Amino acid sequence: MPSDLDRQIEQLTRCEPISEEQVKRLCLKAREILIEEGNVQVVDSPVTICGDIHGQFFDLMELFKVGGFCPETNYLFMGDFVDRGFYSVETFLLLLALKVRYPERITLIRGNHESRQITQVYGFYDECQRKYGSSNVWRWCCEVFDYLALGAIVDGSVFCVHGGLSPNLQSIDEIRAIDRKQEVPHDGPMCDLLWSDPDDIAGWGLSPRGAGFLFGADITKQFAHYNAIDLIARAHQLAMEGYKLMFDRTIVTVWSAPNYCYRCGNVASILELDEHLSQEYKVFQHAPLDVQSIPAKRPPADYFLIDTSSKSDHLRPVLFATTTTSFALPGPVIRAYRVSQTTTPYRHPIIGRCPLVPPPHGLEGIIDL
Amino acid sequence: MFPPRLTERDPDASIRETDTDAAVARFSAVQKGYVQDPFVRYFVPRPHLQHPRPPLINVGTYLRGTAIDELVDEWLVQSQSVGLQCQIVSMGAGSDTRFWRLATGKHKDTLARYIEIDFPEVTGKKAMAMRKSRDLNEVIGIGATDVRMSNGGIGVQTKYQLLPADLRQPPSTTFTKLLATPLWEGDSPLLSPSLPTLLLFECVLAYMEPTASDAILRWFVDYSSSGGSPLGAIVYEMFGLEDAFGKVMVNNLKSRNVSLPGAAPYPTVDSLPLRFLNTGFTAARALTLREIWKSYISPEELERISTLEMLDEVEELDLVLEHYAVTWGLLLPNPDAAAQSQWGGWGLKRKNPCT
Repeated sequence: MPSDLDRQIEQLTRCEPISEEQVKRLCLKAREILIEEGNVQVVDSPVTICGDIHGQFFDLMELFKVGGFCPETNYLFMGDFVDRGFYSVETFLLLLALKVRYPERITLIRGNHESRQITQVYGFYDECQRKYGSSNVWRWCCEVFDYLALGAIVDGSVFCVHGGLSPNLQSIDEIRAIDRKQEVPHDGPMCDLLWSDPDDIAGWGLSPRGAGFLFGADITKQFAHYNAIDLIARAHQLAMEGYKLMFDRTIVTVWSAPNYCYRCGNVASILELDEHLSQEYKVFQHAPLDVQSIPAKRPPADYFLIDTSSKSDHLRPVLFATTTTSFALPGPVIRAYRVSQTTTPYRHPIIGRCPLVPPPHGLEGIIDL
Repeated sequence: MFPPRLTERDPDASIRETDTDAAVARFSAVQKGYVQDPFVRYFVPRPHLQHPRPPLINVGTYLRGTAIDELVDEWLVQSQSVGLQCQIVSMGAGSDTRFWRLATGKHKDTLARYIEIDFPEVTGKKAMAMRKSRDLNEVIGIGATDVRMSNGGIGVQTKYQLLPADLRQPPSTTFTKLLATPLWEGDSPLLSPSLPTLLLFECVLAYMEPTASDAILRWFVDYSSSGGSPLGAIVYEMFGLEDAFGKVMVNNLKSRNVSLPGAAPYPTVDSLPLRFLNTGFTAARALTLREIWKSYISPEELERISTLEMLDEVEELDLVLEHYAVTWGLLLPNPDAAAQSQWGGWGLKRKNPCT
């Protein structure tokens, strides 16, 4: 018999928010689990590593379609679950419910958007207000954010972090010494882990983001060597091709929000690490939107994607894994897959097709930017 | 039971609605301190209920406004330095506040005429705003009751003129009647062919067929040439819509019933000046908003802007800014050395040499 939590997972998988009371209990339970995790959570392979999601719920469903649903597949999400997309509430609560239901099967680490300050600017706060009529849900979620791990390490060899490195942190053990249970500070090592970016420079540089740093190949290789790791996996930066390997493959950006903000036109990817830590990048496209489920009375000024080529409502077979790239390089085997765009709405194995809930607000139009 | 009635939506309504986007965006940039504009609030529906736009949109609005302001100001300064007043014609002006800012600015006496042209639905709305706001009609020098709203215009003989027209109609019928023929008996035409004239096209030509926009430019080239006066033109709009970002934009706009036939001939920034060079202008240049952001804003201003809001993401900003450009063209009917030295330097000036 399914538990309450299973029912909530089913409900959230249909992109339907759970009740405020259920959110409160879920967040309390999540905190109990997360408080036991280290700043750098130890994770075993095989695991599928994912980058930014940013509230793009139906694209998360595409991700699960490509990578397998949890708990059949182990997942590690590198933060930025919320903000910008239309469904931050459903996205974060679904991931959190999966975390509480299968704590050993899914790891969530903190992104720079898991912060009170940033979510008030980029949409999550407003979305909570709109969907629940108060800021309670936002507040409870922010309390959970404070408990999220800052990084993870897979089999002692692949270091995962949302942003990047910090000039104040030479070793992974130093990260373990941070008191993480707080709002993301404006500067310092904790801030840098969530905000920094690799760049084609030597040493350290100032970040145009106004927080964190830029770091070059030399810094990256030193950190990898000193900590005996093979790869740094991070997210945080839009990669038009879904992922981007840099510095002789010592670092990779994994980006999991296809057609970011419903306007960037990029593809997304996930990184599958098998039990030998071989890397497989699976590239996927954004979810098609079901034209029929979007009411005609939308405010016309909304800037919202309708893929007019995908009017059909019937299901078509989903094509997986058409190989496009393979690297014959020393070191771990890397294979890249491109998954062809599917033309059907997400169909959960149990629940069936998700109804598309029209967003109350469109993304800001950039027609007359 | 009657079947539900299918109401035909005016296809131009979608294009007109993009103007509300622009006004709300500018209002947001004002609220956040990017730009100063005491007049925009009168053109925003229910300003007290408008939420600020995201930082990316505010930065874009700032760059667009600042770049065009600089080009317009410099045009006024050039005109003044040769001892002439100048005229500005703003096409598809929508709810733009530039006239009010210029008319209360330091170059107000250099302005001989400021003409705005747009769909009658838009100019009618604008005339209504003028009727309602004393701050607006005082600047024009009229009382609220003077605004008669004739045919979508304000129907008053002043320096400022608001004219309703469909820019896609042949200029020989629209512009010749509105601009080159006296509107009032015994008066001269609104537009003098012997004064320096600056044309503004902010997010206008992209919505039109290239043949229609070329016809507009050619009409002004002929008119200015007939009086031997310099003609300048500024176009601000999206371009390069053939890549992944551009294709998504085209698709998204299709869902808003907006198409961009005028952007098709311009896949790259290098192709943008051709719009002017192929219609008789003597010089032209284009810069993307990204280039303007990197090199055409002073370091002090960049510093000030960076403190206004937390801009969390650079990749998306760059991607968006790379798809908008300011293009300016110049026509000197008598390109002798004197005219060249007076007008030839008109354009945006690099301010950030280190980038």
